[in-house]
Amino acid sequence: MEALLQTLVNGLVAGSLLAVPALGFSAIFAVLRFPNFAIGALATAGAYGAWLANVGLGAPIPVAVAIGFVVAGLAGVAVEFAALDRLGRAGHLMKAIGSLAVGMVLENVIRFAFGNDLKAFDLPLARDIVFGPVRIGPQQLASVGFALAAMAAFWAFLSLTSLGRSMRAVADNPNLARLKGVDPTVVALVTVFLGAGLCGVGGTLIGLDASLDPLTGGRILLSVFAAAVVGGLGSIPGAVVGAFLIGITEEMSSLALAPAYRLAVSFAVIFLVLSFRPAGLLGRAVR
Amino acid sequence: MINRRFFLGSSLALSGTLAMPAVLRAQSGPIRLGTLTPLTGSGGAYGPVMASVVKRAAEEINKAGGVNGRELLILSEDDQTNPEAGLRAARKLIDVDKVAAIIGTWASSVTTAVAPVAWESGTFLTTVSGADSITLLPHRGFLVRTQPNTTLQGRKFGEFALESGAKNVTFLSPQTPFTDSQYAEITKVVTAAGGKTTKLVYDDKKTTLRTEVDSVLRGKPDAIIMGGYATDTAILVRDLYRASYRGKLIGFGYAVNKQLVEALPPDVSEGILTLSPSAAAGSNGYAHVARLAGMETPDTYSCQVYDQISLVAMALGLGRGDTGTVIRDNIRKVSQGGGERVDTAVDGLKLIAAGRKVDYDGASGPCDFTETGDVTDAKFRYEQVRGGKITLIKIA
Repeated sequence: MEALLQTLVNGLVAGSLLAVPALGFSAIFAVLRFPNFAIGALATAGAYGAWLANVGLGAPIPVAVAIGFVVAGLAGVAVEFAALDRLGRAGHLMKAIGSLAVGMVLENVIRFAFGNDLKAFDLPLARDIVFGPVRIGPQQLASVGFALAAMAAFWAFLSLTSLGRSMRAVADNPNLARLKGVDPTVVALVTVFLGAGLCGVGGTLIGLDASLDPLTGGRILLSVFAAAVVGGLGSIPGAVVGAFLIGITEEMSSLALAPAYRLAVSFAVIFLVLSFRPAGLLGRAVR
Repeated sequence: MINRRFFLGSSLALSGTLAMPAVLRAQSGPIRLGTLTPLTGSGGAYGPVMASVVKRAAEEINKAGGVNGRELLILSEDDQTNPEAGLRAARKLIDVDKVAAIIGTWASSVTTAVAPVAWESGTFLTTVSGADSITLLPHRGFLVRTQPNTTLQGRKFGEFALESGAKNVTFLSPQTPFTDSQYAEITKVVTAAGGKTTKLVYDDKKTTLRTEVDSVLRGKPDAIIMGGYATDTAILVRDLYRASYRGKLIGFGYAVNKQLVEALPPDVSEGILTLSPSAAAGSNGYAHVARLAGMETPDTYSCQVYDQISLVAMALGLGRGDTGTVIRDNIRKVSQGGGERVDTAVDGLKLIAAGRKVDYDGASGPCDFTETGDVTDAKFRYEQVRGGKITLIKIA
């Protein structure tokens, strides 16, 4: 029982860290209609930006997280308009494949600039706080806080600003949105900036929790993808629900199965969910 | 990494040789050898230095007149510490570059993937991987390693844990080709002394290992042996610290390395014990590698690949040929069995040309091989992290 409770807490923490990049991934999918597989490398780019700000310039962690957001967002916009946009003329599949390639290039650019060594944020490591049967780290609590704040800010942007409403309009029906005078280029640009920025926040939070190397973002790519698919590709609340589901299942499974089967468990969850709900938990049927 | 000038130079040399008539090509032109080291991935801290040591060693040999008057041309590839990428790179070295030997595969998983294409094509493979299974492959003599195998390493880990006063030992490791053999050997040693062992295999792609740590700590181990590489070991050590684990921690020297210690706050890494096959510190060969690598204390892998290129060059010199088969048939004639002691290929090749028998003792150790390609003797380096620095306890 004790183990179950602790694992649930670990799963919730893992889920909240996964939710931020999953949100970014799903937002990009909703508006631009392709899975952007460069998000792993974008998350890494954001994390390195945050690390530079923190270790190089002595910025406090909240500022570093914000810088991680901006760096990844700008990198995402650059990638979209330098490479992916052109490929998009050949169809969404080409764009998805292109994003995979751009991700690899970006990862190696980071490797070239920073080397392969592990990097750590300038942050003391604290022992966990114990609440009865459950323990949790102060840094994890802070990370969950950052994750929730990022999600709340994104939600507020979508529902309270006119740009956010335009984004949702394009996601709902691009043709109708265009008829209503929404500029698709501006919406695409904003979406990519915010989506990639959220991935950067996710990468930074993982870097804070563990340590940083050029593969940091690449390691979570499959789980992020799994979370977005389970939740329903393109569905914003779906991405969050999916991330928690994947995070908790991956941790829970290690109680029963050898931990090496973690990824297999995520894919079993995808298989089960999609068997009964082909569009994902909160997704709509593809038209 | 391959620099542009080297790449251009070697490509030019290569296209030059390809343009020659086939008969001529077999007899003259440079002898092509490949390095396949992890320039990226978990082994990225070692691969670049390894490749550059081989290249510099070959330059020395070339400057002294080459092997039977022919230059050595070194082609470097990256295995990305990944079997699939390693195999692709090996195919390129074998099929396109037509190398006689591949030097330096590091991760056991990479070596296991590359070995079959090497022996099937008659390419000689020298490796620094430790998994027992590697020398048990049907490699027909086309493989040697300078790294002690994991049975030996596992035994040393078990003994080291007992020595540190532990009775309840847990082995925490990702899935590697040596996880099982290593655990079996640790268990043998620890249970023989009345202790007990448990094992947990984790997924090294995870960004947190809290649940794994929780599950292991419920067994209240007094020593944990970590079988992973640097990236996942860093996560593991952090999560063990957070969980207030206060027992002994023992890891591989290649995982608990300078980079890892620098990436962790000093109080987190304090006291971690490490064990690694030791280079022959203090020998002439070791000092020579230090000069080639441009560092005071070169790691064991740089020393091992230096010995590998030296042995390959001398075997080619003795066999007067340029193929993997020649290396296979002659490598033990220059590495062991008495003769004049040499510690560089340049000296060895001179003696061989004068018709004398040589016995190479290198930077990593005596370099004597069994029938199956294992080294017969090796020393280990015992170290501990103290105040954020890796401090030598003993070499034994």
